[in-house]
Amino acid sequence: MITREDVENIALLSKLFVPEEEMDSLTESMQEIVRFADTINNADTEGVEFDNINNLSNVLREDEVKPSYPSEEILKNAPEQAEEHFLVRKHA
Amino acid sequence: MKYELVAGFETHIELGTNTKIFCSCSTEFGGEPNSHCCPVCIGLPGTLPVLNKKVVEYGVMAGLATNGKIANISKMDRKNYCYPDLSKAYQISQLYAPLSIGGYVQLSNGRKIRLHHIHIEEDAGKLIHNHGDTYVDYNRGGVPLIEIVSEPDIRSIDEAREYVEKLQQVMRYIGISDCRMQEGSMRCDVNISVRPVGSEKLGTRTEIKNMNSITFITKAMEYEFERQVDLIESGGQVVQETLRYDDATNTTSSMRSKEDAHDYRYFRDPDLVTISITDEEIEEIRSKLPELPQQKCERYIDELEIPPADASQLTKYRNISEYFDKAIDGLKKPKTVSNFIISQIFRTLRTEEDKEAFAVKTTPEQLNELCKLIEDGKVQNNLAKSVLDKMLESGKPCTEYITEEDMAGLDDDLVEKLCKDAIANNPKAVEQYKAGKEKAIMACMGYVMKNSKGKANAQDVLAKIKSLIS
Repeated sequence: MITREDVENIALLSKLFVPEEEMDSLTESMQEIVRFADTINNADTEGVEFDNINNLSNVLREDEVKPSYPSEEILKNAPEQAEEHFLVRKHA
Repeated sequence: MKYELVAGFETHIELGTNTKIFCSCSTEFGGEPNSHCCPVCIGLPGTLPVLNKKVVEYGVMAGLATNGKIANISKMDRKNYCYPDLSKAYQISQLYAPLSIGGYVQLSNGRKIRLHHIHIEEDAGKLIHNHGDTYVDYNRGGVPLIEIVSEPDIRSIDEAREYVEKLQQVMRYIGISDCRMQEGSMRCDVNISVRPVGSEKLGTRTEIKNMNSITFITKAMEYEFERQVDLIESGGQVVQETLRYDDATNTTSSMRSKEDAHDYRYFRDPDLVTISITDEEIEEIRSKLPELPQQKCERYIDELEIPPADASQLTKYRNISEYFDKAIDGLKKPKTVSNFIISQIFRTLRTEEDKEAFAVKTTPEQLNELCKLIEDGKVQNNLAKSVLDKMLESGKPCTEYITEEDMAGLDDDLVEKLCKDAIANNPKAVEQYKAGKEKAIMACMGYVMKNSKGKANAQDVLAKIKSLIS
C-alpha cells in the first residue's frame, strides 16, 4: 500500500514539488495505479519462466559508426541552450 | 593504538570501442559539444537502445584477464537518479546479473585483491558548472564503461597504487581501453575505513568519488586515513558519507548530506534483452587474449634469465615487451637485448608516454642483428653501444656503422703490443696490482680498450695483461 510518505519520497527523488493540498488525492491516485498493476499477481504463473518472456537474447549491433545528428537538431528541444550546450539554470 | 587502512575500489574504465554502448554515435574524445549525439543517447522518449557487440566482447575480455567467472546469462538494469548529466533520469547499468563475477588482481607482495564483479554500463554526460548554471554536453553520454568492483582487500596506500597500476596495465595489454586517467578514461571511487590492527571487524567507511590521477588517489587516501584515525582517537565516530577530494587544499569534503541519500530503485531494463554467452564463446575469447603482463614477466625471469626488476620494466607497456620479444629472436642471451633497451633505448624516451608509445627508430630486427654480431664475437660490447646510439638517432642498420675491419677483430700481435704499452704506461697501477689490489689492473684495461677504440675483447685483454705482469 502506497503511503503519503512514499509519495513524498518519490517526489523528492524525482525533484518534484507537490503542494500540500494535492498530497491526499495524489496518494490515492498512486494507490489506484499500484492496485491496478497488482491485478497481474492474480495470474496463474505456475511453471512460467519470467526472465526471458519473449525468448529473445543477444540483440546486438556491430561496432560501426553512423553519422550523429547535427547539434542544432540535438539542442532543438532544449528548454534553454547556450554555446552548443544544454543549459540548466541555477535554481532559485 | 595502531590503525590499519581498509580500502576497496570501484574503477570505471571507458572502453575503446568505435561507437557508444547503445547507439552508433562515435565515442571519439573531444569534438564540438553535443555533436556526437542522437535521439538514443540523449534519451528521447520512444527510442530503443541496441547493445554494441564489442562492449560485450571487451567486458568478457576484462573479466577473463582478471580471473573472473563470465556469466552465461547477464542482464541490463536501470539505475534511477535525477541529475542533468543523465538525460533519461536513469543510467543503464548492471546490478542483478553482471557480466563477470569474482576474480582477483595479484600484487607483487603476493596478496590477491579479490574482485566482487565487473559490469558494463553507459557513461553520463559532462557538466560544466559556471556561476551556478550548468552547461551540459552529452558527447560522453552513452560511451561504454566497465566498472570493476573490488572487495575491501587493500591494506595500504602502496597496495592501492599498485592495484590501480596493475588494472591499468592489464586493460591496456588486452587492448580494451587506453586507461588515460587525465582524459577521464579511467576513474576511481575509493571506499575507505580504518580499524585497530588485529581487528577483524570492518569500520564505518566513507567513499571518495571520481579521482582521475594516481597521485590524487594516494594523497586523498592518506588524508582520509589520518582524518578517520584522528576522529576515532578523539572519541568521535566516522559517518558513512560520500566525499570529494580537493587537490588544491589536499582535503576531502562531504558531497551529499544524508537527507538526499540515494535510492536508485534499480530494476531490469525492459528495453534490453538478455545477454547470453556460451562456454564455447567464452573459451574462444580466452584463446584470443594476448599473454598478460604478469605471465610475461614471470616467463622473462624464469625462462630468459632476465633480472626481476628489468623484467618488470620490460613488461610495463605492451609495446616494449612486443619489441623485446621480436628483438630476442634466435639469440642465446636475451639479456643483451634487455640491457640495451633499459640502459640505452630508455634514455632516448623522456616521458612515460614516450615509453608507452615506444616509437623507436631502430626496429627490433635491427637490434637483433646487432646482438647477433655480439654473440658471434664479431663486435665487442663497447663498440656495439656506440653503434646503437648512432642507430637510434638515424634509424639505419648497424652495418652502416661497423666496417669489415671492425668485425675482423684485432690481430693478436697488436693486442699484445697494446697490453705491453699499457703496463709500461701505468707503473703505479701494476705496482698496486702486484701488492694484491685486484682492481688496480683496470687502469691497464682501460688503456687497451681506449687505444683499440673498443674493438679488443675485454676478457682476452684482461687475461693477457695478467699473464704479462706475472
